[in-house]
Amino acid sequence: MTVTASSPEVIAEPSLLREGIAAFARNRVALVGLAFIVVLVVVALFIPWISHHDPYRVALDEQFLPPSLTYWLGTDNFGRDVLTRILYGARISLLVGTLPSLISLVIGAALGILSGYVGGKTDAIIMRLADMMIAFPSLLLAMVVMYTLGANLLNIFIALALVGWASVARVVRSETLALKGKEFIEAARANGTSRLTTMVKHIFPNVIPTLIVLFSLSIPDAIMWESSLSFLGVGVQPPEASWGLLVAKGKEYLLQAPIVAIAPGIAILLTVLAFNFIGDGLRDALDPSMKD
Amino acid sequence: MTTPKFKLLLATALTSMLLLSPAMAETLRISYSGDPKTADAQMTSDSYTLPLNIFDRLVEAETTGPGVSALVPGLAETWGVSADGLTYTFHIRQGVKFHDGAELTADDVVYTFDRMLNPATKALGTDILTFIAGAQDRLDGKAETVSGLKATDTYTVEITLTQPYAAFLALLASPQASIYNRAFTEKAGDQFGLTPETTNGTGPFILSSYTLNESEELKANDTYFRGRPKLDGLQIRVVSDNETLRLLFESGEIDVFDLDYAPSAAPYFYGSDQWKDQIRSGPRVGIYYYNINQAKKPFDDVRVRKAFQMSIDRQTILDKNYYGRGKLEDGVLPRGLACYTPSTPIEYNPEKAKALLAEAGYPDGVEINLEQASSWSSQWSDMYQIIQAQVAAAGFKATIITTDEAAFLAARKAGETNAYTQVWSADFNDPDNFFYTFFSESGSKVRAYNNNDPEVFAQIEKARGMTDPEARCKLYQDLATRVVGEDAAWVPLFSLDHSYVVQPRVKNFVVPWNGWSDMSYYNVDIE
Amino acid sequence: MLMFVVRRLLASIPVLIGITAILFVMLNVVPGDPVALMMKEHASPDVIARVRAQMHLDDPIIVRYFSFLWNALQGNMGISIKLNRPVTNLIAGAFPNTLMLAAAAALVSWVIGIPAGIISAVRRDTVVDHLFMGFSLVGVSMPIFWSALLFQYVFAMQLKWLPVAGFYGPKYLILPAIVLGWSSAGVIARLTRSSLLEVMRHDYIRTARAKGLREGLVITRHALKNAMIPVVTIMAIQVASLLSGAVITEAIFGIPGVGRISVDAIQSRDMPLLQGSVLFATVLVILGNLVADILYSVLDPRIRSQMRKGGAS
Repeated sequence: MTVTASSPEVIAEPSLLREGIAAFARNRVALVGLAFIVVLVVVALFIPWISHHDPYRVALDEQFLPPSLTYWLGTDNFGRDVLTRILYGARISLLVGTLPSLISLVIGAALGILSGYVGGKTDAIIMRLADMMIAFPSLLLAMVVMYTLGANLLNIFIALALVGWASVARVVRSETLALKGKEFIEAARANGTSRLTTMVKHIFPNVIPTLIVLFSLSIPDAIMWESSLSFLGVGVQPPEASWGLLVAKGKEYLLQAPIVAIAPGIAILLTVLAFNFIGDGLRDALDPSMKD
Repeated sequence: MTTPKFKLLLATALTSMLLLSPAMAETLRISYSGDPKTADAQMTSDSYTLPLNIFDRLVEAETTGPGVSALVPGLAETWGVSADGLTYTFHIRQGVKFHDGAELTADDVVYTFDRMLNPATKALGTDILTFIAGAQDRLDGKAETVSGLKATDTYTVEITLTQPYAAFLALLASPQASIYNRAFTEKAGDQFGLTPETTNGTGPFILSSYTLNESEELKANDTYFRGRPKLDGLQIRVVSDNETLRLLFESGEIDVFDLDYAPSAAPYFYGSDQWKDQIRSGPRVGIYYYNINQAKKPFDDVRVRKAFQMSIDRQTILDKNYYGRGKLEDGVLPRGLACYTPSTPIEYNPEKAKALLAEAGYPDGVEINLEQASSWSSQWSDMYQIIQAQVAAAGFKATIITTDEAAFLAARKAGETNAYTQVWSADFNDPDNFFYTFFSESGSKVRAYNNNDPEVFAQIEKARGMTDPEARCKLYQDLATRVVGEDAAWVPLFSLDHSYVVQPRVKNFVVPWNGWSDMSYYNVDIE
Repeated sequence: MLMFVVRRLLASIPVLIGITAILFVMLNVVPGDPVALMMKEHASPDVIARVRAQMHLDDPIIVRYFSFLWNALQGNMGISIKLNRPVTNLIAGAFPNTLMLAAAAALVSWVIGIPAGIISAVRRDTVVDHLFMGFSLVGVSMPIFWSALLFQYVFAMQLKWLPVAGFYGPKYLILPAIVLGWSSAGVIARLTRSSLLEVMRHDYIRTARAKGLREGLVITRHALKNAMIPVVTIMAIQVASLLSGAVITEAIFGIPGVGRISVDAIQSRDMPLLQGSVLFATVLVILGNLVADILYSVLDPRIRSQMRKGGAS
């Protein structure tokens, strides 16, 4: 097969993957992002051993203390160490940020490619379903799901994944449609490649850059969703903490003890930034036309 | 003849007219956290600001002092009760006009209560009238009129009850008993109370605009029978976000700020030079309590219930979460209510609680759920977390379960909750409003107490009909001892002050006796 | 093209019916009783039972569903259980407010987002690029209720330039539009940037450059059209979601719109109102997607020809 400089088929070859990783490693900004996330994950996992503060205690005598050596960011309305609460919250927020996005990405990509490539009735049915999901106001859909299933972490994943897959599918489908007409696809079909192989080996890899961008866009989305759901009372429940809940509850004290609400907000900001740096780095590294 | 002098005179006259005309700026701006949905007091069960200002009742509960009220004549000038306590005769004030000009007659009173009991109305407030003879038949659709309601002449109404009910007069002062005009209300049909054109009352204010989910406006009734209110109008804004409400107040767009919406801001307002003299506070004749469901383990055992009572450090919650603005309560009735007498204090003793739990078969502690609704304000969710930590010391491993309000009410009705906390402010000044609500047979079930003590049920029913005030109060006292002390059916917590911050221009703002947020603004003035 | 539109509209009907069925089932599965909710702490079992019977809430679910559907097809969406007013009136009253807010927010979002994205792509990796992308990132990572409060505090309370909340005139829309628009502008800017960068790498762009065409023409004539395809998708989706009511923004700024009504309907288990508001939002979204697809055909001739053949619904 003739491989031109712009032929995306080469993505499937392993040498480029290795080159992609090397390219990523050269991208300093992306590395900073990755480092931040790795550190965050490690700290979040080992926080019970790192911090001796109890994130669930109620010590009303130590309400709203300003930052000090004992409490690096001060205390909240129950006398809990704000930093510890944030780090415990990291566990939940990281989970909530990544898992539902992954699930909706996988489902959305699969259905989007299927729909766009195969066309016909399959396309009609899948797009009908996607239309229903998109048409249903997202926040309301999430709320109704949470009310039906109950407000806990697993159900938040389900609700968010349900909300997200349809728009992924639509975008992937339109990309698939655009790719379908490309020469190399028609060449592959003329060669007798099965539809499934075409979809997996030829279409999917070219959709990856979009998927990566969508993923890095959807992580902050998911964290924001969780925060809105917590604000409305159907997200994570106290005394558990997620960043979204901390910000939502902290809003009440914004005019008295701003750190309580601002600090988790900054945590969200930094994490979102980090994921974005990683996402951008990934996209730049994996796209071969960057080679020249 | 437009001589320059004439023009000058004209100009001066016009200007002074403008200056002297009542300034529309004398409008009191208050807020509501959700749209009241209707002005019809019969069709709502929690939004009474509109009815309290647009309508009047036969009698009124006037706030005579902090937490103290007296029944004063309203639309009824005088009244009498028959010796057997069954027949009430009201003499209606003459010359009272509705906003549309019609005169109030006894027939309007009969119509109003009949409307409430008419099943086609789908009224929610029917409980206040169920003692009237013939009410049940009317509700069940078996009768076209209510036999116990009679207009004996143009200005006299006779109401006959099925049994004596000591609280009946006090009940008639509640907003649900607002009086409507027959002709107008019949014509308005199911639109009554929904728009200014279909709302008509005798009250100090007239509904002038109703924008759903945004605001309602009322203007002063110049021909109000007690005299025109000092305010020119009332603007009720629907503000559902608490921090927005606070900003609206601090930037001067709203005149009254209810501190219930920002409990943690109390120290700020009390400590601020700008606001500390603008705080209006009054005791709330209402009690914060912890419900206990006896239909579910482990609370089916009285020892566990008593242990629970002893494992809550109420004083600390009062001091730290509510900044000491209230008093502990130990019975069923809060301070300020008729028949109130102090009960034996409940001690805080986690050690003893632990021992009781062990005795009941839970030496290693027991798991319980504390249920709450997510739409409740954060002061509740804070309280739950505090109590969760407190009762742990006695061995109660508490899990806080949060659902939305609808799910909470459904679970409670089905008896599936363990324990929850809430507050009850007096609807009317009578012990029946507390005892019946919580510990009668129906109340105990629907509120998930399931305190199935037939003697208590019987005594509560009996107390409703007793006519001797002293004996009645004594009965309630004994009931409290039994329900709280022996049966440990609930945990009384405290009664709190209700505090408001008002703009300096607001005068004469008085916290109503029962600490309600819904109140009449007739006496308020702006300068 | 006409066939395409008609086919799409016809195909939407099962979507709408499907949604009503889902809602009906969900609202009956979810625990909660609208009448009990109206009575809250004044709950009395007798009253609740009686009122429920009056409202036919205890009829079998199939009966209720089909009577609802039958009425809906004739344009009668029923009476709201909690608000006691016809659902169509409630939505007709609230929608204009949401429309104004959505238009203002969309304006902010596109007028800021698209140019920012384009400039960032063209001036890639410069200070301008980082600045714009920075603002966009902050926009998408600050929860709305937070930025709303901050804006209210700074611009309304401290600076007194704008009102805190309410909906009594056009200036009341400024803060909510900015708050809403900021986060969607961020999304648009980033997507525009990445999409444009993506397109600019392609052959035909290099050919155009090689031919000596000015950069500006390269971008506008060739690159933008294709770059905008995914952006247009997102724009259509954003408009749809704005029109179905920005729930939190409306709640905080006190705008009596459709979002407020929908959330109330869920929390009050108010079936007719929920059906009405969700169906309404759905119709808007379907129309919005239709418009977006028609726009694709304008932007991409390959898709246009597919549409002409009546395919790709």
